[in-house]
Amino acid sequence: MNEKKRLISKNATPYILLAPVFLYYAVFWLYPVLAGVREVFIDMNGRFSLTANFKMMAESALFTESVVNTATFAALSVLLQYFFALLLSILLARKFRGAKLLMFIAMIPMAITPTATAIIWKTGLVKDGWINSLLMYLGLIKKQIVYMNVEGMDAVLLLVLIDTWTVTPSVMVILIAGLQGLQVEMKEAAYTFGANKLQILKDITLPILRPSITTSIIMRMIAALQVWSIAVMVLGYSKAPFLVERVAFYKDAIPGVDTSSKLAFTYSFMTTIVVLAATVIYLRVSNRGKKAAERSEA
Amino acid sequence: MVNRLNPIQKASVAIILTGMLLIVAIPLMCFVTVSFSNATEMSQFPKNLFPSGTVSVLVAPEENNRYTVYYDYHDGNGWTSIITLSDAKKLERHFTRQYAVTVPGEQLLKDFAATRETGEPRVFTYRKDTFYNFTQFFKIVPNAASGLKNSIIVSLLTILISLTLGSLAGYALARYNFKGKQQLNVGLLIVRMFPTVGISIPMAVLLIRMGLFDSLIGLAILYSIPNIALTSWITSSIFIGINKELEEASLVFGGNSVQTFLRITLPMAFPAMAASSMYAFTTAWNDTISALILTQKNQTLSLVVYKAIGTTSSGIQYAAAGSIILILPALVFTFIIRKYIGQMWGGVSM
Repeated sequence: MNEKKRLISKNATPYILLAPVFLYYAVFWLYPVLAGVREVFIDMNGRFSLTANFKMMAESALFTESVVNTATFAALSVLLQYFFALLLSILLARKFRGAKLLMFIAMIPMAITPTATAIIWKTGLVKDGWINSLLMYLGLIKKQIVYMNVEGMDAVLLLVLIDTWTVTPSVMVILIAGLQGLQVEMKEAAYTFGANKLQILKDITLPILRPSITTSIIMRMIAALQVWSIAVMVLGYSKAPFLVERVAFYKDAIPGVDTSSKLAFTYSFMTTIVVLAATVIYLRVSNRGKKAAERSEA
Repeated sequence: MVNRLNPIQKASVAIILTGMLLIVAIPLMCFVTVSFSNATEMSQFPKNLFPSGTVSVLVAPEENNRYTVYYDYHDGNGWTSIITLSDAKKLERHFTRQYAVTVPGEQLLKDFAATRETGEPRVFTYRKDTFYNFTQFFKIVPNAASGLKNSIIVSLLTILISLTLGSLAGYALARYNFKGKQQLNVGLLIVRMFPTVGISIPMAVLLIRMGLFDSLIGLAILYSIPNIALTSWITSSIFIGINKELEEASLVFGGNSVQTFLRITLPMAFPAMAASSMYAFTTAWNDTISALILTQKNQTLSLVVYKAIGTTSSGIQYAAAGSIILILPALVFTFIIRKYIGQMWGGVSM
């Protein structure tokens, strides 16, 4: 009897420890998520409709642009950031004098809040800004260049560059951490057997980095899909529309209009679907990677 | 040795790294310069690339006890006449607003009187009030002071909620095998990846019903959602690494499980807790979109700065000063946790 009771209580312990988290997520996560989904399928007249709100969203101003821009931004910024991060992490992983100081400085953009990033670039990109001043001092330009009236894809590209400046260091840190698993002996062995630098990069360095790369790529992609604040703060609303930018637009810029709240709900639902799709792809990819690794071990 | 490079390779590595250094350092330097610039420096072009501590003006004596103030915009036109004044009050206001020089008007008049002796214009150099933009930010931006206070409170509340709940879950995940563990891990990952906007808007409805809309605790509840999941993930990996025998020894010597957790396990898990709380802090401190959706009066500093950028087309230097205040704690925390970021991704020391 006594033993049985103990067994039960021991089995129950993890559930007791987890109960507060379950409760929290039930009330503050699951409930709002379901309420949000419900809202998306109820049209402006309060009737259930599968498609009415999506139709309204598709017809709303700048919808197509926001979808295209979000996809372009996510793809380009992740690509660019990984190119630079990989290059820099391979260079910085060597031991040389000043490596630590360089790392320290490279990490500063990581710490800078999005609002501050926006101010840094806004004060730079205005006509009288520091970018034009710098180019003037260097004698590269004679007349001020106007950057702020960029439109369409150019605006997206500009934001990709700003995002790359901000985010590359944090990607680099993850890759450098991943490179610690690379032993000098492995490289030396490869050299002994006549491998060249490119082969070592392809067959040793990149495979070792693969787990850190897959995890962090998806994390970065998820963040990139939710870009809005630099777009709004540097360029203003509707200049470079993104999915989350539309949510903020309907919440912040025109909150009084009847359809605004509905559109904000639908856009945020759409963002969620896109992000979750990316997460599912991530789980698939990482599982496949894990299986492949297990197979090669066996 | 494998890693030895020839001089050409060495030079190209050096060039790439220097380039990176400049790309990071130049925008930061220019940004700091902007946040310490006065109104006149903001309107001149090309701008200073380094912050200046002083302002020089040329003052010429005029009739009726008046003085004309000239300023050199460095635009090639030399000294430009700005204003002609005799009134001490107005002089003081002009110097404060345009040059961030907070010298009493009487003192200015007394200094300028020296030009009367020769009748020739003279250059005067004054020290700028270094933190003028910072005090101005709090003075002219509504809600700035309360925003700072709110940000601190919300961040602390977020740390408190995510640490308590997250480390309990992390402990359960590390120490026990139970049904549904795998599903729970996946669930926590989904929660962590779930976009903030997706939850913020319906959350507003819920918080209104609970009477928590526009409250700091309401914001902290939202920020804790991804951070509870993150904390449980970070702490569980640390709890797995903590020696179970130590805990068992404590139980053998008569400590109950709560005492064991508080005296043995918790202190050993401290680094993980520190890292998690820094993450919780940065979530709460940096967020704008949720604060925009969930608050009206009780804005956080990040939202206040965001609104200041939108509304003040002139005077962006004040918003820049505000964002310096916004950056500082995040900067300090990033360098505290950089050790743990490395550890979490695989034992790199930085």
